[in-house]
Amino acid sequence: MLKVRSGDLDKMGLLFQRHNRPLYGFLFHMTQQKEASEDMMQNVFYRMLRSRHTYTGEGEFRTWMYHLARNVLKDHWKQTRRRGTQQNITDYEERIPAGMAADEQIERKLEIKALERALESLSADSREVLVLSRFQEMKYAEIAEVLEISVGAVKVRVYRAMNELRSIYCQPETQNK
Amino acid sequence: MQCGYDKELLTRFLHGELSDEERASVEDHLSECAECRREWESYRHMWGVMDSMGVPEPAADTEMRFEAMLDSYKRSLGSSPSGNAGRWSGEQGVRGSGGWAGEHRGGVWARVLEIFRVHPGFAVGYSVLLVVAGLGFGYLLHRPGVQPGLDGNIDAAAGKKDLVELTRQIGEMREMMMKSLLQNPSASERMRGVSYTSEIHTVSKDVTDALLSTLNNDPNMNVRLMTLEALTHYANDPHVREGLVQSITEQASPLVQAALADVMLRLQEKRAIRPFKKLLQQKDLNGMVRTRIEETIFRLS
Repeated sequence: MLKVRSGDLDKMGLLFQRHNRPLYGFLFHMTQQKEASEDMMQNVFYRMLRSRHTYTGEGEFRTWMYHLARNVLKDHWKQTRRRGTQQNITDYEERIPAGMAADEQIERKLEIKALERALESLSADSREVLVLSRFQEMKYAEIAEVLEISVGAVKVRVYRAMNELRSIYCQPETQNK
Repeated sequence: MQCGYDKELLTRFLHGELSDEERASVEDHLSECAECRREWESYRHMWGVMDSMGVPEPAADTEMRFEAMLDSYKRSLGSSPSGNAGRWSGEQGVRGSGGWAGEHRGGVWARVLEIFRVHPGFAVGYSVLLVVAGLGFGYLLHRPGVQPGLDGNIDAAAGKKDLVELTRQIGEMREMMMKSLLQNPSASERMRGVSYTSEIHTVSKDVTDALLSTLNNDPNMNVRLMTLEALTHYANDPHVREGLVQSITEQASPLVQAALADVMLRLQEKRAIRPFKKLLQQKDLNGMVRTRIEETIFRLS
């Protein structure tokens, strides 16, 4: 990124190659909207170009990228709120282990759907820490940098989010039993 | 029953954020406390399900969109005058000196591609060059009338003959077109016809006749003026000169009369004096034209 900053814009392609998938994953987990996530991802890379001079080189590039992504997300939510929520349910293949038996697979799918719904019903803050820690595989310290809060606050937030998720996710199951 | 254990340790355990010591103590506690074990199991289960949550493939054109965005951004930098040009050249300097050679070992081809990517203009120029080269090559292969193996001198002579023939044909076509344009009801089309004569190098009598007839009969004054201008180019032709002199008494428009007076003066055509004198006898002659003609007569005689 420092090379991009000093004017070598072709290095941007390299950054795109390296980071587009994880970034897209983050945006998708946060919104569950395929097209919107694609647009937002392009937007993040555009902002990277435009505001490349603000990248100081201190701290991880990834942290900076997620800062930009969070801003793009905020704008996205502002817009969708103004336009009214538009849900587009995206159908896609979950990563279910291939060796599973058919009924196990179906059960897994149901579990995934239930957990997805539970994740969606979390507040954006709670969902964010879970997405960052679980899907983006970030350490608490990095999450703290991205969210600009202390590591202690991250610990609390993650625990609260997991607890919240558990109460939503496990409730229908216990009722069914 | 509420276990007073710090459950936040459980999620940290899950995330692998515990030190070895802490992990040992959590494992100890889990083996003793059923409540915490249940909670831990549910966390672990959710953790596992999350692992199976996929992300759909981004659209296939994702990278293309990015490249297009990058290109247009670069172009916008190139065209903006706000000091970016300096940065560009500086960057290219850096490339030339070190970073380039290290990272682009792909050879000349990679370098050419790189240049094309950075300067789309080169790519366009290269394409045009290819097209021109292709056309030239095709022409060489299928030159009309050229037999492979013939002597070069004969080739040249034949080519010259062809060229003369071709030029003649084009000239004929132009004449025909001009004459048909002069018959056009639209004044602007007739003017276009007149303007064609400037492209015809050797005019036939047909053409000058057509022009003289236009000069005398065209209803539009502008067409007549333009025709007069065109005819002066052929004033060396005695036939044209005579036609111009005769035209003096034919003209009713003051502007054309004045223009004719100027032309006659330029050509030093003394034969024009008589028709001009005749013109002066007309009572309704324009005052400006009258003085111009009187002056012309004075200077010609």
